[in-house]
Amino acid sequence: MGEKAFLFDSSRCTACRGCQVACKCWNNLPSPIEKNANRLHGSYQSPMDLNGDTRLLISFNEAEGGPKGVKWAFGRRSCQHCSDAPCATVCPSSALRVDEATGLVGVNEDACIGCRRCSTACPYDVPRYHGPQGKINKCTGCLDRVENGMLPACVTTCQPKALMFGDRDEMIAIAKERVEMLRAKGYEDATVYGEEEMGGLHVIQVLKHGVAMHGQVEEPEMPASAALAQIMKPVVGVASGATVLGLAGMFALAAGYKRDKLVYNEKTGDTLDAETGAVVKHGDGQDELSVKEHLMGR
Amino acid sequence: MAMEKVENAAGRTADNQAFLEERRAPGGERYIKRHSRQARWTHGITIVCCILLCISGLFVFVPPLAQAVGADAVFAIRMSHRVLGVLFVAVPLISAIASPRGVKHVFSNLFAKWDSDDKKWMLLFLPYLFMAKRVHMPDQHEVKSGQRFADGMLWLFGAEMGITGVLLLLGSTVVDFGPAAFGVIWFLHDLGFLVICVFALAHIFLGAGIFQPYRGTHKLMFGDGMVSESDALYHWGHWAREELESGENVVRK
Repeated sequence: MGEKAFLFDSSRCTACRGCQVACKCWNNLPSPIEKNANRLHGSYQSPMDLNGDTRLLISFNEAEGGPKGVKWAFGRRSCQHCSDAPCATVCPSSALRVDEATGLVGVNEDACIGCRRCSTACPYDVPRYHGPQGKINKCTGCLDRVENGMLPACVTTCQPKALMFGDRDEMIAIAKERVEMLRAKGYEDATVYGEEEMGGLHVIQVLKHGVAMHGQVEEPEMPASAALAQIMKPVVGVASGATVLGLAGMFALAAGYKRDKLVYNEKTGDTLDAETGAVVKHGDGQDELSVKEHLMGR
Repeated sequence: MAMEKVENAAGRTADNQAFLEERRAPGGERYIKRHSRQARWTHGITIVCCILLCISGLFVFVPPLAQAVGADAVFAIRMSHRVLGVLFVAVPLISAIASPRGVKHVFSNLFAKWDSDDKKWMLLFLPYLFMAKRVHMPDQHEVKSGQRFADGMLWLFGAEMGITGVLLLLGSTVVDFGPAAFGVIWFLHDLGFLVICVFALAHIFLGAGIFQPYRGTHKLMFGDGMVSESDALYHWGHWAREELESGENVVRK
């Protein structure tokens, strides 16, 4: 199986959100069904952000401009399945792993320890958590379906063919063709997203009104704090190892060390060698030797 | 009580001779009380928590360890990390509230002005560690200058670990700090771990008396809290003389 990718063509999307429903159905993720469970927020978007039970959502954004005077931009918020997936890099339990066969970032929920490190590393703010142990919940690319020759659940339900799934090269070629067509129609900001970002995403997008309008990140990169945290691991290892080695060296060099027993006669102000009776120091004044004299063993 | 000093040379020699004979007699050994029972218990509980926190934290910090024991074991270890973390924060706080004078004493020592012996001691410390048989160290007050620095780092980064630990606990349970802030807290927690590792290893090496010139120092915190006259004079000469002259905390055994 070669490298696979989703293709999201925003110019074809009608924002029916059938993909959201299909995702929830296949992955057995509940939705709030009580009356007025979702707060009114003046948008067709629902919910307003990803959450522990929502791995995929269609975002709504509108602005003035474009050849028709209004730009209504639908975006797809979900895992982008980065080739250089920072979430998988920082995951201490390998619950997140890039699937070698497809390039999709799979989830082994049983292995997740709920540390939430992945949330600090994702440039797209995707990882969410659910259940009593706060385990990761994000798009798996329906690897379970793909491995059995099926399409991802969201793709199967998309009637206008805004979502496609197939070989990554093929999806990129289709995306480029669509962008050329859109530009020819006057959508100058139309662009392909995902070909190079984060080492190459496995969600290729045709963004009719440009990157930002569709809620995507212009130049995604691993947050500095997460990158620094990754550096900390070898630094702690080296620093601790060097400290242990240094201490071992000190221990070896001090082997056979013996110290004279000292006593202090407060009546005379003399510090004495208890065995020989020699006066080691008289009074309690500050040391008068130089550092060099100390090092010379005086 | 101030004691009249014997100043003339002949008198001093004779007095020293008599003094040494008295010291050599059974029951003539003197010890100085250094750490209270409360300080020893607080230190003991905190250090056990700290070591267990380092070990349990490694299972999140080092991926192969987490993978070796499996998610359920790591989950249990993480929960124990939280319980230990609460103890690590709560025990010193309770102890501080119970003894504000002790806290004042600790911090007045930490921030005491450095005299010439303190500065010289710090300069000589690294060479001394590798040439203990050759380098003689200047006398010190109740807390050595290097000890003040190392203890200060342990206090500072212990507090930093406690605060960031509590924030991580809150951030993964009841509060959403957002991924950026959560990432910074994780980084600070990791940074604290680095500093604690280095300073705690050195602290154990010296404080537990693994380093030959420091043999017996473990008794100060894990024994009866008393230091022998000879050890006190070697490690904290100025302080030992003050204590021996006042006699207030001196015990004969």
